[in-house]
Amino acid sequence: MSGSVMNIGLTALNAAQAGLVTTGHNISNAATAGYHRQRVDTSPQVPQLSGAGFFGRGVAIDNVRRAYSDVLDRQSQLAQTQVSFYDTYAAQVNQINNLVADPASGLSPAMQEFFRAVQDVAASPGTTTSRQALLSESGALVSRFGALDQRLTELRSGVNVELSGTVDGINTIGRQIATLNGQIARIAGPGQAQPNDLLDQRDSLVMDLNKLVSAQVIRQNDGGYNITIGTGQALVVGEAVLQLAAVANTDDPRRLDVGYQFTGAPVPIDSRSLTGGSLGALLQFRSESLDPAQNALGRIAIGLGEMFNAQHRLGQDLNGAAGGNFFTVPSPAVTPASGTTATIGASITNVSALTLSDYRVSYSGTAYTVTRLTDNVASGPFATLPQTIDGLTLAASTGTPAAGNSWLVQPTRFGARDLGLAFSDPSLIAAAAPVRAQATVSNLGSATIEAPVVDASSQPPLNAALSNTVTIMFNAPPTTFNVVDNTAATTLASNVTFTAGMTISYNGWSTRLAGRPEATDTLVVQANTGGRTDNRNALLLAGLQSVPRLDGGASTYQTAYSAMVGSIGAIASEVKVTGTALTGILKETRSAQQSLSGVNLDEEAANLIRFQQAYQAASKLISVSSRLFDSILELN
Amino acid sequence: MGIRISTNTLFEQGIATINDRQRSLLDVQQQVATGRRVVTPSDDPIASGRILDLSQAKSATEQFVENARSANSALAVGEQSLQSVVRALQDVRTTIVNAGNGTLGDSGRAILARELRGNYQELLSLANATDGQGNYLFSGYRGQTQPFSESAPGVVQYAGDQGQRLLQISASRYVPISDAGSEIFQRIRTGNGDFAAAAAAANTGAGTIGIGAVTDPAAWNATTNPTNFTIRFDVNSATSPATTTYDLVDNVSGNSLLTGVAASASGPYLRTFTPGSAINLRNQGAEPAFDYGATVTIDGSPGDADTFTVRQSPAQSMFTTVDNVINALSTTIGSPAQSAKLTNDLGAALANIDQAINRVLDVQTAVGARMKEVDSTEATNSDLAVQFDQSVRDLRDVDYAKAISDLTLQRTLLEAAQKSFVQTQNLSLFDLL
Repeated sequence: MSGSVMNIGLTALNAAQAGLVTTGHNISNAATAGYHRQRVDTSPQVPQLSGAGFFGRGVAIDNVRRAYSDVLDRQSQLAQTQVSFYDTYAAQVNQINNLVADPASGLSPAMQEFFRAVQDVAASPGTTTSRQALLSESGALVSRFGALDQRLTELRSGVNVELSGTVDGINTIGRQIATLNGQIARIAGPGQAQPNDLLDQRDSLVMDLNKLVSAQVIRQNDGGYNITIGTGQALVVGEAVLQLAAVANTDDPRRLDVGYQFTGAPVPIDSRSLTGGSLGALLQFRSESLDPAQNALGRIAIGLGEMFNAQHRLGQDLNGAAGGNFFTVPSPAVTPASGTTATIGASITNVSALTLSDYRVSYSGTAYTVTRLTDNVASGPFATLPQTIDGLTLAASTGTPAAGNSWLVQPTRFGARDLGLAFSDPSLIAAAAPVRAQATVSNLGSATIEAPVVDASSQPPLNAALSNTVTIMFNAPPTTFNVVDNTAATTLASNVTFTAGMTISYNGWSTRLAGRPEATDTLVVQANTGGRTDNRNALLLAGLQSVPRLDGGASTYQTAYSAMVGSIGAIASEVKVTGTALTGILKETRSAQQSLSGVNLDEEAANLIRFQQAYQAASKLISVSSRLFDSILELN
Repeated sequence: MGIRISTNTLFEQGIATINDRQRSLLDVQQQVATGRRVVTPSDDPIASGRILDLSQAKSATEQFVENARSANSALAVGEQSLQSVVRALQDVRTTIVNAGNGTLGDSGRAILARELRGNYQELLSLANATDGQGNYLFSGYRGQTQPFSESAPGVVQYAGDQGQRLLQISASRYVPISDAGSEIFQRIRTGNGDFAAAAAAANTGAGTIGIGAVTDPAAWNATTNPTNFTIRFDVNSATSPATTTYDLVDNVSGNSLLTGVAASASGPYLRTFTPGSAINLRNQGAEPAFDYGATVTIDGSPGDADTFTVRQSPAQSMFTTVDNVINALSTTIGSPAQSAKLTNDLGAALANIDQAINRVLDVQTAVGARMKEVDSTEATNSDLAVQFDQSVRDLRDVDYAKAISDLTLQRTLLEAAQKSFVQTQNLSLFDLL
């Protein structure tokens, strides 16, 4: 029997040692990321049958097992991918958030100063000082648009750079998981002991992958992990990795997307299917915050430029010439898809109707289809161009398009970047109106004529006869009048019935008549020669500040900008609030996972004492067994 | 069974709590340091959009206040000049009244004529007044063109236009800040403002005509009124004393109003003349019905075939009016007819000067009314700008009392988190082994 005591002692010694080793392993890995605490599973050995019954044969070490729950780990991963998403989104959107509302660097102050300068020109239209000040403020406004756009463009290239880095990270993790799949399969078949630390490493990589993009594990029978990312795109299949790459967007080569790096051409993955993690955040930030913000800014720039120009062209400058464009307003950007050689032209024909979207024009071989990219609403098919959609006119240009050709049209994207000033000579500011009116001083009656207003609807081009001298002469009795264009020597109208307060329109201007005329009285509309202190057009230009013309007549430049700031603020705020909530959830799931799998050093200290004592007891058993043997020897 | 807490969790949560507290403390600290509750749009997206709108409204309103000040100074400069014009015109009026003194001889009148020449030059220079920036006040849009110049003695040309400059002093109000010279100095109705009564230059008698008056504006302004009449006299010397009769002729149709048929060049006519009694442009006795609602008075003794005209007032510049007086005063008087002509000329001139004074006063009143409106709008807008500013502050600025109490609270919370973390971490079983 002494032999069996010895044996039992040995099993106990082994078990205690195993316990000490594992405790030591736990203590040393207490802070290792992804480590699951390990336990030694023991059980009594198969008992020995004797006449008296079953005698125990000591302890057997069954397994070294990690405290692991698939559910808890998965919950942590899910929470982690969302927290990473919101962290990355917040980091990106906060840069716009901080930029737009800054009282010093935002658009509002520059726009306000610009319109105040217009008002100052209206107050002193004849002085170069006020005109020079308007040019300076216009320059400041243009460069403010440029600076804001520059920051957004930097964010855009930042997204490209981070996207490439993230894709590299995903590839690296994918390769490591695939390698571990192989190692684990080779050293541990089904039903065999598990290499806990390798499993920890692989789970830890899955967690890291979830920080980059939402990743799901599909367990294989052999214990291998197949990994899909986003909404189900395969990344790891057994020991194989489907490498990703940052690839140029099919519509817009300046924009990087994610695709599979197959031999030959990369195959793009729809951005919307890559959700979660920092990758999902970058893609979503770009399409839902950055694009609308930059397009909104561009639309304000284009709207302001086009409308200011339209009114400015109705005016007359200090030299008496017709007003030209005040701003240079960029045309929509048209980018042919790769392989498309024919070009199409795009121009803005109605600023009010402009949306914040980009458009794709595709050609089927027989017809064109125009897709608005924000909501994927398609217009067409159109057999021919030009066509006008949302204030954007598309026209055929050079080359013959082939079936499958497409073009990306961005009406507003570069508006803020490319807005410019059309001239630098202060005398070219068209503060005056080109025509004036007067009631002949020798009139016997009291008929009056208001200052004529140039009809905006007639331009461009302006009515060629706009500045002709037109005489309104009252007949006898003065209940009717004739209208004669003296410059062209033509009669524009005869025997028009006069009513006080009536509006008349000829040659592209309109005005109102009032008072009580006498026969042969005349009213004259003529070129505003020498009208250097006329400020009528400056007043109309200043009035543009408060006219809601953008967004189908719903927004002024200011409210359009406020709306953009408000929506960025709302996104930033939502991201912050949701991110905070999810961080709380992550903390909870992690705490639950750690509650099961984490190492508690106090517990390990207690185990240390326990196994130390067990070890000492086992030693004693062996020592007792040895002494038993000695006593038998002494009997001889 | 209790929940196990892993050592990692203790650390992580302790650190996370400290991080959270530090972030909250930083937020409050930023609010206190900047004085703003809304530092970035995400702090309050709705308020931040509203703040931008309000700031623009404030900026626009401040600009309106500035415009109102420019408008006021422009109007004040114009008003000053108009006052001087009125003063000069009143001097002219006094001189004309003095010229009517029958004891004056030709030389006395010549002195007055020279005085008037001085007034005339003064008016001309006032009409060419400029503002502080060298722009002419009274040339309409052509502010850099001298409005009035004398092309020949007594002939003043207007080179400006009838443009009126406006300034925006509120969201919806554009106030005129200039008046065209043509409207102040040129468009002055002669006579009584409705019609001018004048003696023909060829009159031989000593009849003088007053300025007359419209007694029934509706009748005078009726479209059927030809507004152009001649009062023609006939003196029948065959009777003793001689009988003076007159006819009223509608110059447009050429008919006599008194008979309804073509007027006859010689009398006697249907109405008998009494010096100094009113001649009404209305039918009386058996005459055909007509009523033009006007009356004139002719005094003295008109000669045979003398005519006087009553016609819709044309506009006459104040320079022409003054020049006419100067010419009248420079003419030598040698006969009763010439004397009557002088009386008629002076009477007309007096009426015309009164019209000129009234015209300028009208403009001055309008300018005064505009200044008053500008003042009150400016006051309203200044208040409004303060209101907008207040609204922005209400939305944007931090409530210091609350922020500082928050700051203290967050500080206490952070300290508590830090201390409890250290104390928890001090506990380890290993220390006791």
